[in-house]
Amino acid sequence: MNIIVNGNNRTVESPPLTPLLHVLREELDVLSPKAGCENGGCGACTVLIDGAPRRSCLTAVGSVPDAEVTTVEGLGAPETMSDVQQAFVHYCAAQCGFCTPGMIIAATAYLEGGGSADRVEISEALAGHVCRCTGYLKILDAVAAARDGGFDLSTTAESPHTTVLT
Amino acid sequence: MKAVGARLPRYDGVGHATGRTVYVDDVRVNRMLHVKALRSPYHHAAIKRLDTSRAEQMPGVAAVVTHADVPLLVYGHLSALGIPADEPLLASEDVRYKGQPIAVVAAEDTDAAQAAVDAIDIEFEELPALFDMRKAFDDDAPQIHHWGPIYPHFEGEMNVRQIRKGNIDEAFEQADKIIQGVYRPAAIEQMPLETQVGLSVPEPDGRFTIYSCTQALYFSMGVVAAHLQQPLNKFKFVGGTVGGGFGGKVDTATETLCTLLAQKSGRPVKWRWTREEEFLCSSTRAPWHMEIIDAVSNDGWILGRKMLTLHDAGGYARFSPYGVTKHSFHHTGAYTIPNLHFDGYVVFTNRVPTSAMRGYGVTSVSFAVETHMSRIAEELGVDPFELRLKNANRIGDTSPNGITYTDPSTVDVLHALAGATDTELAAPYSDTTREMRHGEWLPEHLVGQLGDPEDH
Repeated sequence: MNIIVNGNNRTVESPPLTPLLHVLREELDVLSPKAGCENGGCGACTVLIDGAPRRSCLTAVGSVPDAEVTTVEGLGAPETMSDVQQAFVHYCAAQCGFCTPGMIIAATAYLEGGGSADRVEISEALAGHVCRCTGYLKILDAVAAARDGGFDLSTTAESPHTTVLT
Repeated sequence: MKAVGARLPRYDGVGHATGRTVYVDDVRVNRMLHVKALRSPYHHAAIKRLDTSRAEQMPGVAAVVTHADVPLLVYGHLSALGIPADEPLLASEDVRYKGQPIAVVAAEDTDAAQAAVDAIDIEFEELPALFDMRKAFDDDAPQIHHWGPIYPHFEGEMNVRQIRKGNIDEAFEQADKIIQGVYRPAAIEQMPLETQVGLSVPEPDGRFTIYSCTQALYFSMGVVAAHLQQPLNKFKFVGGTVGGGFGGKVDTATETLCTLLAQKSGRPVKWRWTREEEFLCSSTRAPWHMEIIDAVSNDGWILGRKMLTLHDAGGYARFSPYGVTKHSFHHTGAYTIPNLHFDGYVVFTNRVPTSAMRGYGVTSVSFAVETHMSRIAEELGVDPFELRLKNANRIGDTSPNGITYTDPSTVDVLHALAGATDTELAAPYSDTTREMRHGEWLPEHLVGQLGDPEDH
């Protein structure tokens, strides 16, 4: 069977019940989706399937023939980062980075679906994604900024959560 | 000084945001083998028979390693400091926690490795287990550890970490009130998103390149070299990209066994733990049992503190003595108490061994001390900010282990907290400073405890 990964037509040899996560990582060497729990609980393996965010660890590859699969590699390279990617860098929303590909994919789907910069709505959209480093605030800031601008990497704007004790 | 005060981008931010960061599980080498472990299904058991001969013949199996294959079986994380070790890399005679590794298999894929693990012939004799450290001292408590119920190797071969400071009896004689509390925070799994993972690649010159998710690269290198009884220059460690650790990746989890399997098979060996293994078998933050008894005056001075701490080490010591030592140094929190009587014990149970997590040894006592401060304020009818500001560490005050504070931040933090919570502080608390004690800030019980910051 075939799937389209980040715009490239790829032939899949794995058996149809193989999780898409394993097909991407082990067969096709697309490494940004992470195996955090392989039980659908952490969100680190999330990819876009025909534009919708899906857990690749719970998706049998045989169930998505000819699908268009997008990972963060497909959203933008270091020189061509999307707004969401730039905002994550600008707000230090990626700390250890292991949850980041899934977060960015979910945030991208949320904003492309017309999501607002409201922190509660963003939280609900990202609710299935676990981050143990950031405490989530920087992630919410990044997604809100990606919606409204203010993530320009050439600026030196202070992060709103940088509080200095005097 | 270009960096101080400047807003700098994270050096690894772009890699993270574009999926280019290479974690250990993303490293690709040819002919890589995969690992599964035989782990104890019991919390406590004797191993009566272990035979891997059938597993070794299973299809796809390249190497099986048991305790018999390890040149130095027992080595501890504190061994480099000359502290005796207690934990075997693989269990040989007994298992002391559920999930303890007994044998590991490297095979062409994880299914083949698991099938071989299932084919290992092993017989256990289940033993009674202990989970409540308060019962470790009972006469009928299960015998878990060859060192006895508590860790016996603090300095001077003592089984307790003690602090004695000032005159505790006098403090309790002078007290207006005695205020007690018991605090018992539970174990916490650090739960990094990246589970424990290692990859060991045998090189043609006999060396090993080891990709590690460790938080403590040279620690792990020393541990691997010691178990294999080879010099450090046989190992090249590649690390620095950690998918979350929070203390849970200080202990060496996979690197040694991957390298033994790589040595035996002559092939690269990767071991990535499942989420279930991470939860069940990786070290956690310890459960603690802390009893605080304070001698206090009616106007809110803490004259003396007696404290008993039990720290649950799980089945083996690992870093626990270090954790309790740090804990003891911090048992007055951010406050100055001149008369102290502290006893801290490392207790063995049949829990998974405990280790570091964010503020190792200190988070527990900070929780206990701050809760106790609020309890004192309530029982005395004193404002909680005023109680804290009164007893707050100041320049020249001395810590439980005799260090003179030169740069204490307690007063500044309390003032910032008051500001952040719109709390109006009354004079003189509104303008308390951290400067050396004098006048009303130097009551009778603190005279004589001050150190000279210049001597620090």
